Amino acid sequence: MIGFDFEYYRPATSNEAVKLYESLQAQGKRPVYYAGGTEIVTFARLNQIETGAVIDINSIRECRVYQFNTSELVIGATVTLTHLAETSAFPLLSVTGGRVADHTARNQITIGGNICGEINYKEALLPFLLAESNVIIAGNNGYQDKPIMEAFNKRLQLEPGECLVQILTDRKYLNLPYFSVKKRKIDVIDYPLLTLTALKIDNTIRVAFSGLCGYPFRSREIETILNNHELSREERIEQTVLHLPAPVLDDWIGSAEYRLFVLKNTLEDMYLALEGESL
Amino acid sequence: MESIGRSVIRKDAVAKVTGAAKYTADLKTVGSLYAKLVTSPYGHARILSIDTSAAEKVNGVHKILTGKDTNILTGEEIKDRPILATDRVRYHGEPVAVVIADTLAIAKQAANLVNVSYSPLPVIRSPKEAYQQGVPLVHEHLGDYEKIAEVFPKPGTNICNHTKIRKGSMEIGWAKSTVVVETEVSFPPSDHCAMETRSVSAEILPNGQVIIHSSSQVPFTIKKMLSSIFGLNQGKITVHTPLVGGAYGGKSAIQLEFIAYLASSAIGGQKVQLINSREEDFITSPVHLGLDAKVKLGCDAEGYLQAAEITLLFDGGAYSDKAVDMSRAAATDCTGPYQVENLWCDSFCMYTNHPYATSFRGFGHPESTFAVERAIERLAEKLGMDPIEFRWKNAIRPGQTTPTQVILNESRIGNVRRCIERVRELINWEEGRRIEITPERIRAKGVSCFWKNSNIDTNAGSGAILKFNEDGTVHLNCGVIEIGTGSRTVLAQIAAQKLGIDVDQIYVEMDIDTSSTPEHYKTVASRGLWMAGRAVLAAAEDAIGQLLNVAAQVFRVSLDDLDIGKGFVFLKDNPARKLALKELVYGYVYPNGNAIGSQVIGRGSYTLRGMTFLDPKTGKGVPGPDWTVGAQAVEVEWNKRDYTYKILRAVTVIDAGTIINPKLAQGQVKGAMHMGLSFASREGFIFGPNEVVETTQFRTYKVLRYGENPDYTVDFVVTPSRETAYGLRGIGEHALIGMPAALANSLSTAAEVHLNRLPLTPELIWRMKTGGVR
Repeated sequence: MIGFDFEYYRPATSNEAVKLYESLQAQGKRPVYYAGGTEIVTFARLNQIETGAVIDINSIRECRVYQFNTSELVIGATVTLTHLAETSAFPLLSVTGGRVADHTARNQITIGGNICGEINYKEALLPFLLAESNVIIAGNNGYQDKPIMEAFNKRLQLEPGECLVQILTDRKYLNLPYFSVKKRKIDVIDYPLLTLTALKIDNTIRVAFSGLCGYPFRSREIETILNNHELSREERIEQTVLHLPAPVLDDWIGSAEYRLFVLKNTLEDMYLALEGESL
Repeated sequence: MESIGRSVIRKDAVAKVTGAAKYTADLKTVGSLYAKLVTSPYGHARILSIDTSAAEKVNGVHKILTGKDTNILTGEEIKDRPILATDRVRYHGEPVAVVIADTLAIAKQAANLVNVSYSPLPVIRSPKEAYQQGVPLVHEHLGDYEKIAEVFPKPGTNICNHTKIRKGSMEIGWAKSTVVVETEVSFPPSDHCAMETRSVSAEILPNGQVIIHSSSQVPFTIKKMLSSIFGLNQGKITVHTPLVGGAYGGKSAIQLEFIAYLASSAIGGQKVQLINSREEDFITSPVHLGLDAKVKLGCDAEGYLQAAEITLLFDGGAYSDKAVDMSRAAATDCTGPYQVENLWCDSFCMYTNHPYATSFRGFGHPESTFAVERAIERLAEKLGMDPIEFRWKNAIRPGQTTPTQVILNESRIGNVRRCIERVRELINWEEGRRIEITPERIRAKGVSCFWKNSNIDTNAGSGAILKFNEDGTVHLNCGVIEIGTGSRTVLAQIAAQKLGIDVDQIYVEMDIDTSSTPEHYKTVASRGLWMAGRAVLAAAEDAIGQLLNVAAQVFRVSLDDLDIGKGFVFLKDNPARKLALKELVYGYVYPNGNAIGSQVIGRGSYTLRGMTFLDPKTGKGVPGPDWTVGAQAVEVEWNKRDYTYKILRAVTVIDAGTIINPKLAQGQVKGAMHMGLSFASREGFIFGPNEVVETTQFRTYKVLRYGENPDYTVDFVVTPSRETAYGLRGIGEHALIGMPAALANSLSTAAEVHLNRLPLTPELIWRMKTGGVR
C-alpha cells in the first residue's frame, strides 16, 4: 500500500517521455522514470521516495530491444534480468545479472533499473564496465552516445529528465574468458558481500567490483596492479587492498575486515580461474 | 476404519491449496475503516510533543488516538505496557499513535503527517548491560505496577522476573566434581516470521456487543483481557479466529486487539481493521527473546554430572509480556534431560530497549538448551569422553527427579536413552565426527538432547462438543486454533476412532467463535492434542452413552449388552442386530410414530490435574504433566579456507508416544528442525545507534528458504503417555529445541573453536577462529 497519490504516464517514444518529464517537473511533481518498478513500489511503500508522477518507459520501442546490429549487442533499458539470464549472447552478463535478487524479482527488475536505481550494488552494470560498452541516453537534445566508463561514476551521471535507453556492447567482448562470483553473508539469495567480475582480454584481466565499497567500480589503478606480473599474486592482492577507491562497506552484511578477507580469497580464485596455477 | 496411526489428509488442505482459505485480513466488509500506527523511530526516547493537526486535515481521516487517549497499562503478568506510548518510547517500533480513516491509503498518508517530537534517551543494549548496577532503568516505577503473585520483579533494577532453582547441595556437588567447565553464550532477539502478519478488527454494536476478529493463538484470552482491562462483561465480547497463517508463539500476545478496540470505541463502534505491515510485524509486535547465559558444570571422573550452576539473563525487551513466563519455564527445565543432583539456577528476565518478547516455539527451552548443551559438549571434551556417550550416561530416567524436584515415571519422561541410541545410528556416529574430506573441506557432526514440559496455567483445560447431523455425520467443535499444525484434523481422528466411524464422517469447521466454541485454554505449549484430545474423548464417550441409551430401549437390553462400531450400535452377542447411527442421533422413531431419545450432543471437557506453582525459594513444583524428550544431530560440511558451510543433514528422534497421524507428526518435527536451523544459522536482529533495528524486512532479515534446507531424517520412539488420548505426546515445538546447540556443536567440532554465539554465520566462525584479522 502506497500512502500518497501519483499520476501514471506511459509514453510511446523517448522524445515524448523526455517532454513529459520536463512538463511534470515544471508542475512540481518530481516525476520519476519507471521501468520494472521494484524499487519505486517498495520504496514508496515506506515513503523512502515520494513522487507525484511516474513515467513508465516500457512502451518505448527502443527500450525493449535485445538484438545485434553489425558490430554490437544492443540491449534496451527495460529488458528484464530474467530475460538477460535466459539469453546466452553475453554469458558474463547472464551469470552476473541472473544472481540479482530472486527469480520473481528478476522477472520485474530491468537492466536500466538495476543500473539507475537507488540500491547501490548494481551488479548487472559490472559486465558493461568490463566490456567498455556505450550507453544511449535520451534527453532534451535527442540521443547521446557515451562510453559507460565515462558516464558511470558512482552512479550513472544523468541530467534531470535524461533517460537511459540502450546499452551497446562490442561483439568482440561477448565471449571472452570471464570470472564472475557473488559472495553472500550466508544465504543463497541476498545482497552481495562481494561480487567480483573479471574479463580476460589477451593477457590482461579487467576487474569490476560490487558490494565492496559504497558503489560499484572498475579501477584502472587496481587493474594495473592486478596485471603487474613482476609481483607475486599475493603481493598484487595486498597492493589491491591498499588502493581501493573508497572505504570498504561495514554493515549488517559483513564487517569491512571480513569483506577484505573475502576479497583476497576471491581474487585468488579469479587468478586460478583465468590464469591457472601460480608459477 | 482405524483412524489412529493413519496419515489422514488434513481437513483444511483443499481450502489452502486452492487459495479459498480465508484469514483475518481477508474478512473485509463494507463499512470497515482502516487503522494505521505511528511508531517510534527510536529505541528509547522522551516524547516531547505529538502534533496531529496536519494529519487530521486529510480528507477521510476519522480520528487519531495518542497515548493520552489510552491511559491504561496492560500485560499478562505485569501490567507495564501502555496501549499507546505516553511520555516515552522504550523500543524501536513502539506504537505512539493510531490513525483511523476510510481507506488504508488515507490512514497511511495521515500517519506520515503525525509529527512526533522526541528527545533520545540512553539505551540498554543487552540483558547483561541491563543487569549492571547504576545503568538507566527501563521502568522507573516497576514497584507500582499491578502484577500476579507468581512473578518476581525487582523494583529499582531492570529485573522483571527472577526464578530460583535450588536442588541438592552445591558444596557436595563441586566436591564430587573432578572436571569443571564454564561456558558463556549469547544471542540477540529475533523474530517468529509467520507468513501471515498479525491482524485484527474490532467492532462495537449499538447494544454494546464487542466483536473482535484476530489472527491469534489465544481468542479466549483476548475475551478475558478485554473484559478485565475495559471492565466489560465477558458475555458481551465475541472473538472470532479463522485459520491462522503461522504463529510459533508470536500470536499468543495481545496487543493490536487493544488498539483496535479503542479505535472502534473512539468512533462510535464502527468496524476498524488493523493489519501489521511486515516491518511492524517484525518489531512493533512482540519478538523472540535474546539471551546472555553462563553455565558452570561439574562431573566426576566417570563422567556423571554432579553439579550445575546456571545463570540465564533473558532479553525480554521493553515490556514483560510473556518473557517473564519464558524465563521461568527455562529455569524449570534448565539442565536439559539429564540427571543433576546438585543444581543452582538463577533465571532473570531483563528489561532492555529492544522490541519486547513473547512466546516463541520452545518457550525458553531452545535458548537455555543452547547454553547447557554447549557446556556439556565442552565438559565431555575436557573429560575426554565421546559427547554422545556422555549424554547417554547422564540421560534422565524414571525414578530420578527434575530441576523442580518432580519424581519421574515412564509416562512422564519417556525414554531419553533410546532416542540417543537411535540418533547415534541414524547419523552414523561410528564413522567419526570430524572427517577431512580434502585439506579444505571438513565434514563434522554435532548432537544435542532436548526436553520440554508445558509450563502453562495450573488449571488450563479444554472443551469439545460433538454435534450430529441426521445422516449420522458429526461436527467437531473445539477451541484449538488451526495455526498450521493440523491439530484439528488429528482431533477428528481421535473422535472418529472412539465413535467407530470413518474420519471422513467428521467435519471440523476451522473458525473459532468464543461465544459458541468450547474454550481451549490457548493454542500453545504443544498442549492442543494433549488437553483437547482428552476433551474430545470425553465428548465422544458422552455421545456414545446417549446413543447406547436409546438403542438399549429399542432392543430392550441393558447398556452393557451393546457396542458401537462401523457406524452402528449393535448387540455384542449378535452383531447382526444393529441400528445405524442415523437411526439414533435424533432419537429413535418407532413404526407407529412414537419417538424416544433426542438429538445427541456429546460434550466433554478436561483440566490439567496435579500442577502446582513453583516454590519461590527453591523452584520446587510441578510445571506441567509430562516431558517430551528427544535427541538430535546435525552434520555439516565446513570450508576451512573461506569459513562457509553447508548443513548436510539433520536428524531428530523424538519420543512422541502414540503417533496419531504419522505424516503430520513428521511435518511438525521437520518444520521445527528447519525453524531451529534458520534461527541458529542466520536470524537475529541487528541493532544500530539508539538500538534501532536495522533488519526489519526479509531483504535484510534472512530465513532459511525452502530448497536451502538439508536432508531431514525423523524417527520416533514410542513410549505412550498414560494420561492422554491413545497415549499421544505433544510434539509441536520440541524439534526446534536442540537444533541451535547441535549446529553449534557440529561447527565447533569442524572448526575446532568454541562457537557460543548465534547466529552462526561464516563471519562469526572466521572471527572466532582468527580473531578477526584478515
